[in-house]
Amino acid sequence: MSLEIKKGECIGLLGRNGCGKSTLVKLLAGVYPTDTGYVNIQGSTMLMNLGVGMSHELTARENVYVSGSVLGLKIKEIDAIFDEIISFAELEGFVDTKIKFFSSGMVARLGFSIAVKAGADIMFLDEIFAVGDAKFQEKAVKVFESSWIQGRTVVLVSHSMDVIRKYCNRAAFMKKGELVFVGETEQAIDLYMKDNK
Amino acid sequence: MFLQILNNWFVGSNKLERLWLLAKIEFKLRYYENKLGLFWALLKPIMDILIYFIVFQVVLKQDIPAFASWLFIGLILWNFFLESTGGTVQILNSKKFLYEYSNMNKLEIYVSTLLSNSIGFFFNLIMFLGFYYFIEPSSIGPHLYNLWIIPLFLNVFILSLGISLILSNIYIVAKDIAQVWQVFTAFLFFLSPIIYRLTTFKESLPSFEFANPIAGIIINARFVMMEGKLPNFELFIFDFAYAFFLLLVGLILLNKLGAKAAEKL
Repeated sequence: MSLEIKKGECIGLLGRNGCGKSTLVKLLAGVYPTDTGYVNIQGSTMLMNLGVGMSHELTARENVYVSGSVLGLKIKEIDAIFDEIISFAELEGFVDTKIKFFSSGMVARLGFSIAVKAGADIMFLDEIFAVGDAKFQEKAVKVFESSWIQGRTVVLVSHSMDVIRKYCNRAAFMKKGELVFVGETEQAIDLYMKDNK
Repeated sequence: MFLQILNNWFVGSNKLERLWLLAKIEFKLRYYENKLGLFWALLKPIMDILIYFIVFQVVLKQDIPAFASWLFIGLILWNFFLESTGGTVQILNSKKFLYEYSNMNKLEIYVSTLLSNSIGFFFNLIMFLGFYYFIEPSSIGPHLYNLWIIPLFLNVFILSLGISLILSNIYIVAKDIAQVWQVFTAFLFFLSPIIYRLTTFKESLPSFEFANPIAGIIINARFVMMEGKLPNFELFIFDFAYAFFLLLVGLILLNKLGAKAAEKL
């Protein structure tokens, strides 16, 4: 397959379960090496699904610092956004609690907040709108509609056609490990809907 | 390839900060989670020394002068080596959260863990110095040559880093390496003059100190810390050569096997 994603673009990735979306995303993010061919990445990457690179043995505070640092921020820069991250995740009372005692929704909220406040140049978002309760999802959508998405390159994996339609200017459709189509969002959605029948 | 690694390593300004942050958290996780806390880090070498002292000095009557100090310096170096090699076999598994979601350089994970072990070593070394200078009756006191412990520690650090890289990357394809290394370290422990006389060691296994890098480092550490002598430079160079060679092998393995860690572990 051959695919080019331009800087500042938000591209959707569609396909049924097991078709290779998450594997492709991991390859693009530089987490998996390629067996053949090459991936050329320019900038820092962050892959986000449930629980972005956080250790369950660490507290929320430590995870914020570790993740922020891995994303390329300096300690001082993390200090400056620390309170914002915690309040956005609504975890004020649990800053020094190990996240293994968190509910899965709380972990996901923390991950999402780190991604939003400290995010990398290129974000790979794998089904992130499934995170948290209704109130938090509303917040997440607001972030997407704010200026956050501008200037970032986003690859969005989602089974929600509304989400893809709303935010992506292009979309790719995958089937059985093959990249079948890249281009118009509507066309990709049509292909995906047909495949589901 | 190595230029690429080195380039990746030094470019980017928050690397050192990140290493220190990860090392501190690692140290905290290890010692502050338990009831004994940091006290255990201090107690552990004392307990070890006590055991070997009773067995080899009281029961077997080896009669090595200043035996407690002699054991002390040998054991803290050995324990650092053991923690940094055997203790890190599964590092790519336990620290998966660091590289599973980003393109972070894995070498940083190793260096930060070894830095955390170095903090422990540093505490132990201070304890040793206190014991040797103020309590040991046959101590020769502080000596300028004591400073040679710095390059010797650097040697054991590089050696451990190399072996840690080799073991943990082999672990990706062969999990049994953990057990194999356990047996092998028992072998190394008894084939290093940690608990018995250097002369006995040299008579029974001539030139073996050149085959076992950790033995050479311990022998030299005793020269510079307790005997007011310069290190044996032949051994010193040999041991650095070993360390760099193993580090090279480790880096090659990290590049070949380590790249697949996120997929295979």
